Amino acid sequence: MYGWIWRHLPGSAWVKALLSLMLVVAVVYVLFQYVFPWAEPLLPFNDVTVDNQ
Amino acid sequence: MRVVVRTVSELCITAGALIVLFVAYVLFWTGVKADTVMDDQIDQLQQQWSQGSVRQPKVTAGASASPARPAPYRSEKPFAIMYIPRLGFTWNKPVLEGTQVGTLKKGLGHYANTAQLGQPGNFSVAGHRRTYGDPFKDFPRLRRGDAVVLTDGTTWFTYRIDKGPYKTVPSDIEVIDPVPRKSGYTRPGRYLTLTTCDPEWGHSHRLIVWAHLDSTQPVEDGKPVALRR
Repeated sequence: MYGWIWRHLPGSAWVKALLSLMLVVAVVYVLFQYVFPWAEPLLPFNDVTVDNQ
Repeated sequence: MRVVVRTVSELCITAGALIVLFVAYVLFWTGVKADTVMDDQIDQLQQQWSQGSVRQPKVTAGASASPARPAPYRSEKPFAIMYIPRLGFTWNKPVLEGTQVGTLKKGLGHYANTAQLGQPGNFSVAGHRRTYGDPFKDFPRLRRGDAVVLTDGTTWFTYRIDKGPYKTVPSDIEVIDPVPRKSGYTRPGRYLTLTTCDPEWGHSHRLIVWAHLDSTQPVEDGKPVALRR
């Protein structure tokens, strides 16, 4: 999977490294901004009220 | 065969990285975000108050125990700041109307349909034990006699804790009744209830403390004794 991505990135090894770094940052951003905020309320840390109002 | 092994191991590494990231998010990032948001809410409040958009109810002499009835709180908006010296001298959090998941990310949540601040009945507030700034992390350290101080911009309200932390189950809604069951209060009064979850990271139980309104004073008179160093 990662090898496939590496092979399909254009440019020299340095450009590839830079592009993969940008990809990683983009993935982390999407996770922190959208995926985790959605997933977190499914865990029990939010239940602090009585009767779940 | 090699491809399969490689793909599976790559997936495992990805899953591991994902879990580590998620833990970092819950432990650390929600706190960073919540601190910013809560400071924002407090700034908003202070700006509102300094502009005097809160109408000044004229507190007449001798009526110190019954300040004028405040306007209904707007849902999901901050209306007060809470201070609990026992949880730290700099501990202060905004109190917002409502206890929805989104509201509790921005501060403490006032149970809609419980009494308003300083009014007869039970002013009930919920807060996160963990995540989102850990506002009630040290909840079990609260003791009888501890002060819970709130201000709505015109008045300081000092509540004194009478009982707690009391452990109960999530369905026990009678703890936020006007005269809470198990609180030891027998007559109607001006009470305060704080709720959070227990155990720290779990949701099987709730921790409760109860307090009664001890004193009020207009903000012009300076900070209440409980907040003076």
